[in-house]
Amino acid sequence: MSLTKSLHPDEKVKAGRIGNNLMRAGALIAIVFLGISLILGATYAGDDIAGDPHHWKRFFYAYLTAWAFIFSICVGSLWLVLLHHLVRGRWATVVRRIAEAISCAFPVVFVAGLGFIIPLLAGYKNLYYWANPAAHDADLNPTLAHKLGWLEPGFFTVRFVIYGIIFSGIAMYFAKKSREQDESGDPMISDKLRIASGPAMVAYSLLTCLASIDILMSLAPKWYSTIYGVNFWGSACVGGFATIGLVVLAIQRTGRLTHSINANHYHDIGKWMFAFTFFWAYTAFSQFMLQWYGNMPEETVWFKYRLFGDWQWVSIAMLVGFWAFPFVFLMSRWTKRIIPSLVFFAVWQLVFHWLDLYWNVMPQYDWTIVHSGAEAINAGPLMGNIDYHHVGFTPLDITVWIGLVGVLLAGIGRNLRGNLIPIKDPTLGLSLAHENM
Amino acid sequence: MSSEAATMESHHAEAGKARETFRKVTQDVAWVAEAPKPHPLWLLALGIALIMFGIGIYSIYVVVMTGIGVWGNSNNVCWAWDITNFVWWIGIGHAGTLISAVLYLTRQQWRTSINRAAEAMTIFAVMAAGLFPLLHTGRPWFAWWMIPLPNDMGSMWPQFRSPLMWDVFAVSTYLTTSVLFWYMGMVPDLATFRDRNVAKGNKIKAIIYGIVSLGWRGSARQWHRYERAYLVLAGLATPLVFSVHSVVSFDFATSQLPGWHTTIFPPYFVAGAIFSGFAMVLTLLIPLRFLFRLQHIITQDHIGAMCKIMLATGMMVGCAYAHEFFIAWYSGNIFERFTFVSRAFGPFWWAYFSMVSCNVLVPQFFWVKKVRQTNILIWILCIFVNIGMWFERFVIIATSLARSFLPSAWAYYTPTRYDVGVFVGTIGLFLTFFLLFFRFAPVVAISEVKGASPEAHAGKGGH
Amino acid sequence: MSETHAHDDGGAHAHDDGPADGPLYGVLAEYDTPGELIDAAKKVRDAGYTDFDCFSPFPVHGIDEAMGIKRTILPLLIFGGGFTGTVGGLLLQWYCNSYQWKWNISGKPTWSIPANIPIAFETTILLAVLTSFFGMWMLNKLPQVWHPFFRSERFGRVTDDAFLIGVEAKDKRFDHDTTTKLLKDAGAIGIEDVHEDPDPAKKVMPRWILAFIIASTAFALIPFAIAAKARNSHSSEPHIHIFPDMDFQPKYKSDNAMDVFADGRENRGEISGTVARGSLDADDLYYRGLSGSGADKAWTTSFPTTYPDGRKFVVDRKLLDRGHNRFEIYCSPCHGYDGHGHGSVPNRSADIHPADLIGAPIVSHPNGQLFNTVSNGANTMQGYAAQIPVADRWAIVAYVRALERAQNASLEDVPGPDRGSLQMPPITSPGTEAPK
Repeated sequence: MSLTKSLHPDEKVKAGRIGNNLMRAGALIAIVFLGISLILGATYAGDDIAGDPHHWKRFFYAYLTAWAFIFSICVGSLWLVLLHHLVRGRWATVVRRIAEAISCAFPVVFVAGLGFIIPLLAGYKNLYYWANPAAHDADLNPTLAHKLGWLEPGFFTVRFVIYGIIFSGIAMYFAKKSREQDESGDPMISDKLRIASGPAMVAYSLLTCLASIDILMSLAPKWYSTIYGVNFWGSACVGGFATIGLVVLAIQRTGRLTHSINANHYHDIGKWMFAFTFFWAYTAFSQFMLQWYGNMPEETVWFKYRLFGDWQWVSIAMLVGFWAFPFVFLMSRWTKRIIPSLVFFAVWQLVFHWLDLYWNVMPQYDWTIVHSGAEAINAGPLMGNIDYHHVGFTPLDITVWIGLVGVLLAGIGRNLRGNLIPIKDPTLGLSLAHENM
Repeated sequence: MSSEAATMESHHAEAGKARETFRKVTQDVAWVAEAPKPHPLWLLALGIALIMFGIGIYSIYVVVMTGIGVWGNSNNVCWAWDITNFVWWIGIGHAGTLISAVLYLTRQQWRTSINRAAEAMTIFAVMAAGLFPLLHTGRPWFAWWMIPLPNDMGSMWPQFRSPLMWDVFAVSTYLTTSVLFWYMGMVPDLATFRDRNVAKGNKIKAIIYGIVSLGWRGSARQWHRYERAYLVLAGLATPLVFSVHSVVSFDFATSQLPGWHTTIFPPYFVAGAIFSGFAMVLTLLIPLRFLFRLQHIITQDHIGAMCKIMLATGMMVGCAYAHEFFIAWYSGNIFERFTFVSRAFGPFWWAYFSMVSCNVLVPQFFWVKKVRQTNILIWILCIFVNIGMWFERFVIIATSLARSFLPSAWAYYTPTRYDVGVFVGTIGLFLTFFLLFFRFAPVVAISEVKGASPEAHAGKGGH
Repeated sequence: MSETHAHDDGGAHAHDDGPADGPLYGVLAEYDTPGELIDAAKKVRDAGYTDFDCFSPFPVHGIDEAMGIKRTILPLLIFGGGFTGTVGGLLLQWYCNSYQWKWNISGKPTWSIPANIPIAFETTILLAVLTSFFGMWMLNKLPQVWHPFFRSERFGRVTDDAFLIGVEAKDKRFDHDTTTKLLKDAGAIGIEDVHEDPDPAKKVMPRWILAFIIASTAFALIPFAIAAKARNSHSSEPHIHIFPDMDFQPKYKSDNAMDVFADGRENRGEISGTVARGSLDADDLYYRGLSGSGADKAWTTSFPTTYPDGRKFVVDRKLLDRGHNRFEIYCSPCHGYDGHGHGSVPNRSADIHPADLIGAPIVSHPNGQLFNTVSNGANTMQGYAAQIPVADRWAIVAYVRALERAQNASLEDVPGPDRGSLQMPPITSPGTEAPK
């Protein structure tokens, strides 16, 4: 019974080879599965219309969903790092290095993002409707004309690069300084990081909202919701904490960190996962209920595509799977402290976090084949008959996802080197002795 | 042998020091309630508060007996000062629960010195807030119609799909929870007061404190259930505090009025509520901690921490302002765009710029450490934040109504003396209750401060 | 500091209530620090005691394990309370708004889950909070303001700085001397015996508290008793109006009695043989749309010739514009802007079938009959005489005639030079650029 503890003498804190191994495995997975996906994408024949080849469109939609997934995991992890410094947190010191490693995958993730940015720049017009010439028809899309300067491939790419630089910069700065402390043991570095975490948090929140609006919300360019970014962030943090938990467990399986991280720390990871599950539900409900209640066609149409037809089953699955079930069970203390149960819920929440992104992206897919009578009109997303909208799940969704998760793992592996916990952090003792009520 | 004796000696010294600390905490807090004569400044403040309360009672009398036509909102700006004040007070009430619950769950131990006062503030602020919708109904004696009671009028039931009914449930649940949480936290401290009065032989006071402390014995088995209940209550109060201001924001956001109908409102209102709540906590505690010599319990570090929370929530509010403007432009909806342009450059431009400067610019001073250590400066900045947050609600409510869809319905709003009177009255009510609380109740959570002190672990060293 | 408290308590009776003491209730031992309290508690527990407890000014962490306290069932009770709140909140809303009193509000379903969630959430929290608050006190067996330990002066410092262990005499292993020795060996800095109060009345709830509870309960029932009596009895007295609510105003109403006038009525009827200024409606053509006289009266097929004030009645652009404007306000909700009877009202209700003004038989109705329909209604249509002044009714008739004429027109009605603009543009296939 004491307030602080010192590191166990037998503790293995060195990463050794796991980083390299993970990087190689990740790269291999990425190459194999992205290769398979390219073949599947090239041969995809689902929604082809004469004169407008669509098979690549399906590939890019799957790619965008999977990319949003790995991006959001980094966003969630970076939040833990920033918050921990901002509030002088204690419990998370032992897992902070892992969160830093995940958030330091940002540069790799943004490079992977070029997979849809380069085609966009090169003139590919079927991923984002606003990049399509039809969007410029003011008769067809009167509310779109004024924002095409904002939603324009060139400017969009500039913003994408800025997001990449700032997110990566913040993540790498905090990781680098923390490693410097491992060497020098200088407690001033903690103070410096605490001061830096304030402005970093401001930039982080603004950019998370803007990035989610740009990358996901603009798939339906005529629709808007002010809470969208906050909702995305909630979902991202569920994914982030689930991933941190799983990565820490995987590292412990290799015999490292076995003395430092125990049920008390998993309990806190579980608590945060629970809190963000609730927060996600809160923002999702606010977004849905306010638009449902206001009942204005330009807003409700977005939900119309998700609450009727095939998609209604996905929506119900989200309600039950992403909120109700984990909410009821994660309330208990034991589901967060017993490792197999925590693993189950972390995996479960990651699956549903992916489904949440899929639910956000995929209903926008059908816009160029909206039917009016016998002919297709390029009226853009959310302008046609919902009878033509199907979930349309394909193997591509899985293969691209596995490929990009490989990219993420490679990005994480690249940063798993040196010490796996900040051995000279002044709060380490408190974190090691942490007890959870 | 001698080394063992030395160990015993140092052990007794440590134990003695721990006991000394515990006794000092008890003494310092109990002193506030036990001082035979109140501080003259306290009396002066109470006098001013009572005068304001009196003005309020007179204004309420006129409003109830004449009708709400005496207010300035008898044109198309039909929600004005009353609803502004309602939202303002409810927002202030959020800091208490936030400090008690959210900071408890996130193990911010500095909260123990201020949570009791903040909880009391919550209760009085919610009471003040509740008055406004009640008066706005015009015939407050029919307020019981909002409760689902079987009745003689056929089967008249409340209309549960209305956000205004949600308000009734949210605010009353919030008031109930805050009172129970506050009272439960106070029971061990009331037992301390009981035992002090027993020891001193003050029979009447001992009996009164004895009854309200429910016979608390401080036994480990009692503490065990007490702590579980406290943790669960904190866990329940956290979503509750989010829900209450979210429901208040639904009053606006479920409508179709531009400037009201926007999905960011729930979290944005909650952030604003925390922001204004902390400003009010500091406004009250900075002078009172000086007056009742609580500087070493409510320390400068605690004040600094609150300043940082204000900075954080102020930034959130600022981001939400920017976000609203961006989406208003992005939406392509001409009504949205017009509303936001008219907010900044329309007839209420002065309110808009007061809001932005008080809520976004003023908290930026808190980046500077020197400012976070200068109490008088903090106090002035907090007053500005209080004003700014009042203007925020006014801007949302009045500008949207004054420039709604129908140009022939455009109107300007000017308050009457009864608008001002009722508002001043609620400030008086709030201050009166708060000053009385500060004189007669345990203003700091004695047991929690002891439990959070390093001495609470005395004697555990070697195990 | 410890010496002030560590006075020797070797004797059985620590304080001099001697003869007034009842049977032994238990032994209280004081310890110096929270850490020692935990160690001592562990020893007492290991010695097999169960009826003992530790007392401290704040919750001491680690004491639960040391004493072997089982986790409380309170969270389960709270979960039950919360669940009841959710179900109860939803049922309440369903019963009130969707079962007992269906009431259409802004087209929302009477049982509309999204709008019911906020209240269900609040009731969940409310019941969970009430369960945790009252459940905690109940499980702790509080309030109980009488307890033998309160007789000890030392016990009064538990809420200040003392850390005590109390072992009750009813414990199976309790033996005064061995127990005292055990506590002492565990490091107690002071030990005392606590006896129950010799007065049996003081072992239970004090009388006056019981009396107060009974009295206040009885007092609280009075309003309900009054309400019950009022509901079950009859009285010729009028209701008591605390707030008059504008029910009683100093004004005259029809059908009330008044003794000022000979007929004893407040109501003053019209005086026979008089016409109020501007109210003479002798002109049948203008006011009723009838032409001819006597028995030959029939609906007019034309329009009035003059207004009552003598101006000439002219069917011109101005009149038609006025008719257009009035038609769109009063008639279009049912009959539609084009007069075909497809307005927004029949759109929402399957039971309302407004007449088609453009087709038979309305086209063949004479102007006078149309005027009469506008004034007095037909079938389920109500009359609009109360809302629309006579002149405007005639303007509407003129506009309806114009609508009929316009929609039953042929190409020949269009002036020669304009006919070309009516030609269909060449048909283009959809999906290609539309012609500008």
